[in-house]
Amino acid sequence: MLRVLSMLLLGSALALSGCASKVDYGDAQARETVNTDFGSTDLQMIAAKMVDDMMVFPPIVQMTQNRRPVVFVDRIKNKTTEHVDTESITDTIQSKLINSGKFRFVDMSVVDRVRQQLDYQSDSGLVDPSTAAAMGRQIGAEMMMYGNFSSIVKRDGSTKDVYYKFTLKLLNIQTGIIEWTNEKEIRKTRSKSLFGL
Amino acid sequence: MVAGLLALSGCATNSLFVPYPNQAQQWKASLATAPVTPAATQKLEKAASGGDGVLYLQELGRVSQLTGQREQSREAFAGAIQKYDEEDASARIQVSSLTASASSLITNDNARGYVAPDYERIFTHAYQALNYWDANDPTGTAVELRGAALEQRVAADKRDKEIAKAEEAAEENNVDLSQFDGYFQGINAVAGEVKASFQNAWTFYLSALFWEAHGEYNDALVDYKKALEIHPELDMLKEDVERVSNAMKGRPADEGMVAVLYEQGFVQAREEFSLPIPTVHGIFSVAFPTYSLTSKPRPNSLRVLDSASQPLGETVVLADVGALAAKDLKERLPGMLVRQTLRATAKYNLQKKANDDFGPLGAFATQLYNLVSEQADRRSWLTLPAYAQATRFSLPQGKHTLVLSTPGGNATLTVPVVNRGLTVIHVAAVPGQLITRVLPVQEGPL
Repeated sequence: MLRVLSMLLLGSALALSGCASKVDYGDAQARETVNTDFGSTDLQMIAAKMVDDMMVFPPIVQMTQNRRPVVFVDRIKNKTTEHVDTESITDTIQSKLINSGKFRFVDMSVVDRVRQQLDYQSDSGLVDPSTAAAMGRQIGAEMMMYGNFSSIVKRDGSTKDVYYKFTLKLLNIQTGIIEWTNEKEIRKTRSKSLFGL
Repeated sequence: MVAGLLALSGCATNSLFVPYPNQAQQWKASLATAPVTPAATQKLEKAASGGDGVLYLQELGRVSQLTGQREQSREAFAGAIQKYDEEDASARIQVSSLTASASSLITNDNARGYVAPDYERIFTHAYQALNYWDANDPTGTAVELRGAALEQRVAADKRDKEIAKAEEAAEENNVDLSQFDGYFQGINAVAGEVKASFQNAWTFYLSALFWEAHGEYNDALVDYKKALEIHPELDMLKEDVERVSNAMKGRPADEGMVAVLYEQGFVQAREEFSLPIPTVHGIFSVAFPTYSLTSKPRPNSLRVLDSASQPLGETVVLADVGALAAKDLKERLPGMLVRQTLRATAKYNLQKKANDDFGPLGAFATQLYNLVSEQADRRSWLTLPAYAQATRFSLPQGKHTLVLSTPGGNATLTVPVVNRGLTVIHVAAVPGQLITRVLPVQEGPL
């Protein structure tokens, strides 16, 4: 009887302690290994590798020595088995490149709203013409950034293996030449533990 | 013990004492009436957090998809997919499942958490793809179709011994394995026969159509061939393989394609086979789930006619969901037998102790409990169709009025057709109603 009681106590103690949850701040750069899905560490690794590599590629170094080429970001095709926000990856890469002071970017996703603002400034009659932004003075992009994000997933009863490959390309719009390309590979493996709660 | 019983029966959202098919009747019936009653989906939402959560999430996703609540459906299926991942990542020996197994020893198999079989996982990804498709999100659709393909592959890998055995047997009996050549090279009919019992040609066909519409002929060809491997008798699939092979050589047809995905009825539920065993200490019953052939619905096809009543196409069965479910039950049966034996022993000992110690009333109560608590595990995704069918035909660009004719009712739809594009009509025939919707046209590169 005593044994049964102590088991019950232990059980309820376990159940009760399970209810206590807490919130804490963590390091945004810390390694995240919750599961094999695409996560923050993957995003950071990809962005860092792409930017670091581009910055030391000799023709790019030469090209950006005296001027800051204008780039537009096309899109990264998601060819994985997960719903990945690839725009978030290119945003990080774009931020890093702009902050390096070597590149400038145009943003195609806001063209409509920019046009609206330009129309307002020139047509509404409310804006002082001397301060209004003039039409037809935007700078054309010289390069296009695009790429692919693909994955190979294998799974059996106890193991899951995910291989990601992120390819980024920088294409000269006028010549059609790919000026630079690189890829980042990531492999993650999960094996089941024998015991768990 | 009494308190435990009370606690167990208090939860109406499990199948311990209320057979699952009886519960499912509620939301299945709600689909037959045009505006669905929110009570049914609310019950499903509530049940989604329980031990059988994945099963209720699947049902919820399907019910809300059929009633046109896309966001709710998407969330439910995403929840189910997350549960699959958790199941895959869980430790091989889990304390929580040990407790469930222990309580299943004195009650029945329904106390164990529901584990979704492969064929249900495949359907979840396919339906989720249709949700993204309906929202005109080709990237999301592609992701889910790849997810479905992954599940199909995992299902085949699990059973590669079975496939190898079938091939061996075919070789011994001198069956020619390479009976396909030309366009159909690489198709293994013997492996296909085995694969038909757990893979889903309908999902392969759905993704093949999608890839073809987006000019991904390579992927389309692979999926058409996989469907053909399962159904080597279907001329429609042979034509598809030929057409895509030609498109790969740079000769895509300059027409629009219309495909009809037809889901017929509801898959049959597991039935209970109960056997009373009299012993000196009282009567015991053992209960097993089974599928009866007599209650299996027969396939019927959907015919498509143009506005002048000329036939355009007739659907063919690509996936017999009842057969997939039966195969799954067959694979689970050995484990069920082991647990049934252990349970019978446990209940026998309980009865013996009650007879000796608790007097006639206690003995009678225990006897009653033993008989009532013995319920077969009848849980499975019950809003899946009995048969998943499809057909396709080409039409010139423009608006077309089509008549869909089924034994359960007719519908007239006006659909847009775009050159080299794909228009999909999704039709679900549930008792008393024909649910139709036209998905956004797919065209151009992904």
